[in-house]
Amino acid sequence: MSIKSGYFKKHLHVDLTKGSAERRDLSDAFIEKYIGGRGFGAKLVWDNLKRHDFKIDPLGTENLLVVAPGPLTGAYLPSSGKNSFVAISPATGLYGDSSLGGGFGVELRQTGIDVLSITGRAPQLSVLFIDNSETTILPMPELKGKSCLEAEGMIKERLGTYAVHVATIGVAGENMVKFACVNADWGRNAGRTGIGAIMGSKNLKAIVVRGHRDIPIYDMIGLMAEADKAFKYMEEHKYFKMWQQEGLMNVIEYANEKGILPAYNFKDSVFAKHNQINGATMLDHYKIGDSACFLCPMCCGNICLVKNGKYTGTVVEGPEYESCAMLGPNLGIDNFAAILSANRLCDELGVDTISTGNIVGAVVEGYERGILSLSDLDGGEITWGDEDAILELIRKIAYRQGIGDILADGSRRIIGKWPEMDKIVLQVKGLEQSAYDSRAGASMGLAYATSDIGAHHTRAWTIAREMEEGQNWSDEEKVDIVIYHQKLRPLFDMLGVCRLPWIELGLSERHYENFYKYVTGKEASLEELLELSNDIYDLTRLINARLGMSRKDDSLPYKVWANPPLTGPNAGKVIDREDFQRLLSLYYRKRGWDEDGIPPAGVDRKFED
Amino acid sequence: MSKKLTVIPEQCSGCSICELVCAIKHFGVNNPKKAAIRVLTTYPHPVMRMPIVCSQCRVPACAQACPVDALRWTDGVVRLDEENCISCFKCVEACPFGAIYAHDDCDLPIMCDMCGGDPECVKKCPKGALRLIPEAALGESKRLNNVLSYTQMKEIEFYEKGERKIIHYAETGKEEL
Repeated sequence: MSIKSGYFKKHLHVDLTKGSAERRDLSDAFIEKYIGGRGFGAKLVWDNLKRHDFKIDPLGTENLLVVAPGPLTGAYLPSSGKNSFVAISPATGLYGDSSLGGGFGVELRQTGIDVLSITGRAPQLSVLFIDNSETTILPMPELKGKSCLEAEGMIKERLGTYAVHVATIGVAGENMVKFACVNADWGRNAGRTGIGAIMGSKNLKAIVVRGHRDIPIYDMIGLMAEADKAFKYMEEHKYFKMWQQEGLMNVIEYANEKGILPAYNFKDSVFAKHNQINGATMLDHYKIGDSACFLCPMCCGNICLVKNGKYTGTVVEGPEYESCAMLGPNLGIDNFAAILSANRLCDELGVDTISTGNIVGAVVEGYERGILSLSDLDGGEITWGDEDAILELIRKIAYRQGIGDILADGSRRIIGKWPEMDKIVLQVKGLEQSAYDSRAGASMGLAYATSDIGAHHTRAWTIAREMEEGQNWSDEEKVDIVIYHQKLRPLFDMLGVCRLPWIELGLSERHYENFYKYVTGKEASLEELLELSNDIYDLTRLINARLGMSRKDDSLPYKVWANPPLTGPNAGKVIDREDFQRLLSLYYRKRGWDEDGIPPAGVDRKFED
Repeated sequence: MSKKLTVIPEQCSGCSICELVCAIKHFGVNNPKKAAIRVLTTYPHPVMRMPIVCSQCRVPACAQACPVDALRWTDGVVRLDEENCISCFKCVEACPFGAIYAHDDCDLPIMCDMCGGDPECVKKCPKGALRLIPEAALGESKRLNNVLSYTQMKEIEFYEKGERKIIHYAETGKEEL
C-alpha cells in the first residue's frame, strides 16, 4: 500500500541571494522513504553536499538550512507540535539538527508545504514571510540587534497581526555565535548545533508563517479513536499531574538523587543546595503559569516570575531541566531567581542554554586552575556562583566582546586557543555535552560518543536504564538499547512529534504505527518505520564520514575518563577507556559499520533518489 | 436547562486541544483555524493565555448587526439560520469578544453552537480551563471568578532601564481551584 494522504507533497525552496521562492513537487518515493522532519532534512543536506563536492562552509551561502515538520505534525494526537531544523552545523562542521515545539511547525505545514529549504544570503537583514501560498522576503534592517522577544513583537506589529508564528534569532545569531539558537513562540528553542548562526549568516532574522489549510488526514475517525486512547492513557498515568505541575523541572531531584546532575562544570554530580533550585521551589515561589506545545496535555513548559529581590520582574518561559542544571548547579549558582534571569537572558540573546552553561562552567574552572589568566578574562574575575560576572560573560559571548569573541566560536576554538582546556571543556565532536553525567554508566557515554550531532542526549538517553540495572547488564544489552534508542528517538523527529509521552509516561510506541497509518493511509509496522529511521542514521553517519569523521571522533570528554565525580552515589566512577573501545567495536559490528565506524561501500546508493 | 461555557484563563496552558477538537467535530477536518474557540497568548507583559469563547449573549451584538436577521438567541444559544445568511460577516466584526471567526474555505461564519449542550472543548481540555456552568449558577461563576481575581491577582513594581513598570500576575499554587 502506498501513501494516500498526510502530505501536501510540496517543497518550498527559497534562495535569499536571488530573492526567489519556488514550490517543487515531492515524489511518493521520496515521502515514503524519508518520512519527514529530520529524514527530509538529512536527504536534502546530503544532496546539497554532493552538489558542492562535500566542500561546504557551514556559515557560507551554500549551506542549506532545512526547516521540516513531519507528517504527524499538527495532527490530532498527543504532543504533535514538533519541527526540525537541519543543516551542516557550524559548531561541529558535521551533520546538525535541532527541533522545537510550540505551534510554529503546525502553522508552517498549514501554509501547504511539507518542507522548507533556504540557501543564499539576503542583501540586508530580512524576514521570510510565508503567508499561505505567497512567499515574500521583507527587508527589516530595524530588527538588527533586537532580542528574540522584541523582534517577535516588532514583526507582529509590522505585519499587523498577532495570529502568525515567528521563529527568530537574537543578537547571538546575528553575530554567528556557534551555539546560537532559533526561538519561536517567545521561548521554544531549537537550541543545539548552532542553527541560529546559520540564519545569521544568511541575514535572515526570522521566519514568519501564517497558514490556514487543512492538514491532510487519511482517516480522521480512525485517528481520533486511536489518539483518544493515547490521551486517556496519559491522563490516567500516576505522574501525569506531576508533569503538568513541574514539567521537566522534576528531573532535578531525580538527577541529584541518582548522582547524574552536573555541578561545578561536572566536577561533581550532586548539588548540596539542590532543594533551592528544584521543582518544588519553583512551584512554591516562582511559577505563574503553564505552557504547552501544540496538542500536548502534559504542558511540561513552565512560566516563572521573580517576585522579589534584585531580579524582580523577570518573566521567563522555563526553566526546564537542562537549562536549570547547566545555568544553575553547573555554574555553582544556588539562587533560583538568578537561574531564571540567566535563562531569560539566553532567550533574549538567542543562545543555547546547554552550550552556554557548559562553556561558562569551563571558563570558571579554567580560571580557578590557572589555565586562563585575569587578562584572558579582560581583567574581571569569575568564580563559582558569581551571578553578576556570569550574566555579564553570557552577554559578552552574544556580543562577541573581549574573551566572548573566542568563547562564541565554541569549544573547538577554546581548545585551539588554550590546549589545556581540552581537559576541562566537556564536548564531543565540538558540541558541548548536555546535563546528564555519563560517568554513571557506559551506555550513556556510548550514546554521547555515537550521536550524529555530538554530545547531546536527543539520540539516545539510556541513563535511566543504567540507574535501574547498575553494573548487572551485559555489553550486548547496553549496545542494543543505545541502537534501539537511536532508531526510535529520531523516528519521533521524522514524524514531527514529541518523544516525552513515550519516554516519560511510557506511552506505547506501537501507537505511532497506527497514527502513521491513519494519517497517511499507508500500512507500515513499527519495525518497518524503525528501519527507515535507521537508514537515516546510516545517512547522517555517511555525511559525517564524508566530511572527515571516523572512530577517533566517537570519543568522550577527558573528564569522563580521568576525573570522577567527587561525591554522591557515583563518586569515584569513570568510564574505562578499554571498556569503552570494546563497546564501541561491538556497536559498529551491530550497525554493520567497519572497525573505523564507516558504513560499507555502496550504502550511499540507497540515498541516490 | 441551558448552560454557559466559562473560562479559567489561569489554568490554560495554550495547548490548542480545544481548537482542534472543535474543528474536527464541526467540519471533520484537522484544522485549528476552523474552530469556534481560539486561545490567545500574550507574553511577557502580561503573561496570559485566554481561550476566547462565545458568551451566547441574550442581546447578541452579532444578531443586531445582521442585516437579514439570520441570528437568533434561542434556548441559551445564538443560532445561525444558514438558509438566510448572506455571508457578509458583519457578525464577525460586531462581536465585542471577537468570538466569531471566518475562514477562506467556509461560506458561513464559524460560531459556537455549544455542541448541543455537551461541548467537545470542555470534555477534552486537559487542564480544566474550560467549564460548563448551569445558567442558574451563572452569577455564582462570575462571583467566583471575581473573587479569585481579587484574591489571586498580585501586583509588583519594578524598574527596567530606569523606567517604572508594573506587572500583574495571578498567583497559582499547588492547590486545585
